[in-house]
Amino acid sequence: MKCPPFDYHRATGVADAVATLDAAGDEGKILAGGQSLVPVLALRMARPAVLVDINHVPGLSSLEVRGDTLHLGALVRHLTLAEQDQHPLLAEAARWIGHTAIRSRGTVAGSLAHADPSAELPSVLLACDGAVQVAGPGATRRVGAADLFVGALQTDLGDAEMITEVELPVPDGWGFSEFARRHGDFAVVSAVATRFGDRIRVVIGGVAGVPHLVSPPDSTPDLLTVSGAVQDDRVAEIADAAARGVEPASDLHGSADHRRALTREVVRRAVAQLAGTPTSDRTPVPA
Amino acid sequence: MTTTSPAPEPTASGTAVRRKEDARLLTGRGRYVSDLTLPRMRHVAFVRSPLAHAHITSVDVSEALETDGVSAVFTGDHPALASVSLRAQSGLPGYVETDQPPLARGKVRFAGEAVAAVVADDRYHAEDGAEGVDVEYEPLSPQVCAWASPEEITDPVHDEAPDNVLLSRTFRAGDVEAALAEAAVVVDREVTTNRHGGNPIECRAGVARYEIADRKLTFWSGTQVPYIVRTQLAGLLDLPEGNIRVIAPDVGGGFGVKAVLYPEDVALCLMAMAMPGVALKWVEDRVEHLLSATHAREHRYVLRAGFAADGELLAVKADAWCNAGAYSVYPWTAGIEPLMAGGLLTGPYKLAHYECTVRGVTTNTSPSGPYRGVARPSTVFAMEALMDSGARALEMDPIALRRRNLILPADIPYTMPSRLVDDSGAYEACLDQALETFGLEGWRAEQQRRRAGGGKPLGIGIGIYNELTGLGRAASAGPRMAFRTGHDACTVRINPDGAVTVFSGVTSQGQGLETTMAQVVADALGVTYDAVEVRIGDTDESLWGFGAFSSRQAVIGGGAAHLAGEHVRGKALALAAALKEAPVEDLDLRGGEVYMAGQAKSIISLAEVARVAYLQSDRLPEGFEPGLEGTKFYDPIRGAFAAGVQLGALEFDPATGEIGILSWVCVEDAGRIVHPVIVDGQIAGSIAQGIGGAMYEHLVYDEAGNLTTGTLLDYLMPTSGEIPELTIGHVSTPAANPTGVRGVGEGGTLAPNAVVAGAVADALGVEVDDLPVTPASVWTLLQGVTP
Repeated sequence: MKCPPFDYHRATGVADAVATLDAAGDEGKILAGGQSLVPVLALRMARPAVLVDINHVPGLSSLEVRGDTLHLGALVRHLTLAEQDQHPLLAEAARWIGHTAIRSRGTVAGSLAHADPSAELPSVLLACDGAVQVAGPGATRRVGAADLFVGALQTDLGDAEMITEVELPVPDGWGFSEFARRHGDFAVVSAVATRFGDRIRVVIGGVAGVPHLVSPPDSTPDLLTVSGAVQDDRVAEIADAAARGVEPASDLHGSADHRRALTREVVRRAVAQLAGTPTSDRTPVPA
Repeated sequence: MTTTSPAPEPTASGTAVRRKEDARLLTGRGRYVSDLTLPRMRHVAFVRSPLAHAHITSVDVSEALETDGVSAVFTGDHPALASVSLRAQSGLPGYVETDQPPLARGKVRFAGEAVAAVVADDRYHAEDGAEGVDVEYEPLSPQVCAWASPEEITDPVHDEAPDNVLLSRTFRAGDVEAALAEAAVVVDREVTTNRHGGNPIECRAGVARYEIADRKLTFWSGTQVPYIVRTQLAGLLDLPEGNIRVIAPDVGGGFGVKAVLYPEDVALCLMAMAMPGVALKWVEDRVEHLLSATHAREHRYVLRAGFAADGELLAVKADAWCNAGAYSVYPWTAGIEPLMAGGLLTGPYKLAHYECTVRGVTTNTSPSGPYRGVARPSTVFAMEALMDSGARALEMDPIALRRRNLILPADIPYTMPSRLVDDSGAYEACLDQALETFGLEGWRAEQQRRRAGGGKPLGIGIGIYNELTGLGRAASAGPRMAFRTGHDACTVRINPDGAVTVFSGVTSQGQGLETTMAQVVADALGVTYDAVEVRIGDTDESLWGFGAFSSRQAVIGGGAAHLAGEHVRGKALALAAALKEAPVEDLDLRGGEVYMAGQAKSIISLAEVARVAYLQSDRLPEGFEPGLEGTKFYDPIRGAFAAGVQLGALEFDPATGEIGILSWVCVEDAGRIVHPVIVDGQIAGSIAQGIGGAMYEHLVYDEAGNLTTGTLLDYLMPTSGEIPELTIGHVSTPAANPTGVRGVGEGGTLAPNAVVAGAVADALGVEVDDLPVTPASVWTLLQGVTP
């Protein structure tokens, strides 16, 4: 479990990183937190010729709310995501990522670029209808969550492109539920529910190659009774519909049928949590 | 004049003295083989077979030899290795002996078997070189199942065993068929247990260096059994045993996995002999460990039991298959699991009529070997499944049924149907204390409350077990190997300054044996704990010890330490008596000082006695030789059974299958406890490993013989987050050995399978036949019982 040979380049800036990647063709790889890349290298399942270390690139660690959206520099670590209070859903999801050692190294853009369909952050990005700012050899571009994830561990990013910033709208309400075999494991199945105004979005992780966006039966679900209690029947309907809509695969940690049952349950929990989150609980966002 | 005797010195044993290892192990100053660096050292990476079963048609090492940093490549046919085979031997009738080459020759028998070894400047270059070794294979039909029908076997794993059965033995007592015919109820169960393994934090590691001028080989090895390694190496390498020095420094966990002499170890030593003066280092990584270190516990049991109407267990009939993997594990043989399974299946229950046929079956999977609790986590699960089925059939309380059949103090010594002799009888005492601590009535009430009012179903599981520990020459006779592991030696040396150095044959993989031995010697000799230093793990320092397995070291190594301490105490007192012209029978040695009966003040210190013994021969009385040391062996002949009971309350989420452990209680009989914290640590750690095996850890092969759980991403080890708070209690019935201890290293692993599976059955009314118990398996079981 030792990495194959590679050249190491410590990037001084985004342009330098992009230029180095561009020169490497499809043989370059960005090293950020290294929490997924380094094990893959150690197993020799990937053998990039050049590693471009962006950890020393200035200006990629900012975290600020502009309007209703949290803007995150590419290098913001999971630990910071978990500790911030401007995007409570993100904080909750980040606490489910690995263990402290992993969270203190892993980065928000690294997780999104790795695009593991069981990981927490890709689902959160899609559930918040967020986007990433991407720098490349030509112009920079903005890629929305729906376009970013192409397949398992596959994104829309080109070989010489890197995510520089993550835009994550702050939802008016949210719910998060994950089923994993152990504390800190990738999800077997997870669900993220958000509400922006009267629109709710539900994203399921672990059931397909990319985070799976559920279209709820209508856009103004009446999840609460007049007295404010959660409408269990409505929540169950959404959960049942979500479970019917997924085609999960079987693996060591669960059969397709079990995953479908888990889908129903985690969606139910996430939507119930969403429904139970009064609007007033929303963290005030500075203008 | 009246004198008062001083208060007796507090004994070191029985108190939680500061562990001697802690200063270095807790501050990152441990000295592991993995840390070892020597001049001119080179590093080894093994090329491993990607196929489970295949002929090797060619091996081309030319590209590897041209790789940067690579200095040598060895294959199985290299002259240094070609004539050497590991051959686990046993005199048991019908045992089929087979060879295991240090590097594969002619064919590979499991995916992960070492085919070639690359020597390079560092491990990176060695792995680069390993990629350049081109091996061509001609696939054979693989067999991964140990209970396949014979017609499914196309290509036997070893030509010597066409049916793949390396060992078969039937245990018989009484008349099972007659007893079953008279039984009020007969129950049948068919259970399988899941393959998993030890996974110590430090994987296997070795450094070998050969000096050609004096033909001496030094092998630093993270082994549990340095003396066995030395003896076996001497035969395999054709060296005088005295020319081999095996050093096991700090070792980062073992759990049985490191009680094996591996083909990689032998290959490393043979390669070192072919490259004299060059130290060769191999540190196994986790992928190699999961793939090729010994596995364990993949068993199947077909069981039938008969009970009388009052619950008396009348007969047990069993057939067992243990997956031995591709090779008969060296030097223990493929009998290690099946013989233990047949010998201990009936556990703490009285039984007259028993028939059990066990088999060790070779397959195209990594070899099985010793793992903490050897076979008994599986047999306890099997036996407790029978008890639960019996209770259901008799409509009897499952705990009452167990109690009805326990071996009681009045039955001791109790000859089990396998003819092992149980000296414990503390099962009911453990059960009573465990039930009280657990609060069974409260949990039963909670269970009823949930059944009536909703809430997650709750189940109570129980496992009662007898752990055979500290096997003496009679108890270790079963496998009929070329050696009997009944004894260890210990040397106690008083240094010229009066301090004590102990040379013990025990080894430690983190379980604090330096501390335990120091406590025992301090008390037996009459010195303070702090005055004692313990040396272990170096075959050139201490005389003899078989090592760490079978929960034997506190019993046997501790017995030797006690006897050696007493012996040297006698010598010191005799010398003191002669020096002070006092009757020896009136003298006592406490805290390093010699006292005369009835006097409060010491008459001479041990330091002064030692000074005379080494430095002042002019003061040596007539008939005394210089020096002050002694060596004793100890063999308990039989062994010390340790009783144990575990109870758990678990809840299950019907929507997901998620398992929650609400309470876990263990009460064990460790005999007289030497170090309370070490004992509780052993119990807690072994329960954690047991829970790992019951709920998480599973080495899964596909039909082609590929390991599909090749990293810790898929092979799930429990972390502290998965292990519940454990409530540990003790009953203490001293064993008949010098220190009164019973082994405590493994017992905790024995019950969790039974507890977890039993709790599922209790909560959901479905029998669990297959392990591990996972959310997926619980959910799947529930689909059959709920609308």
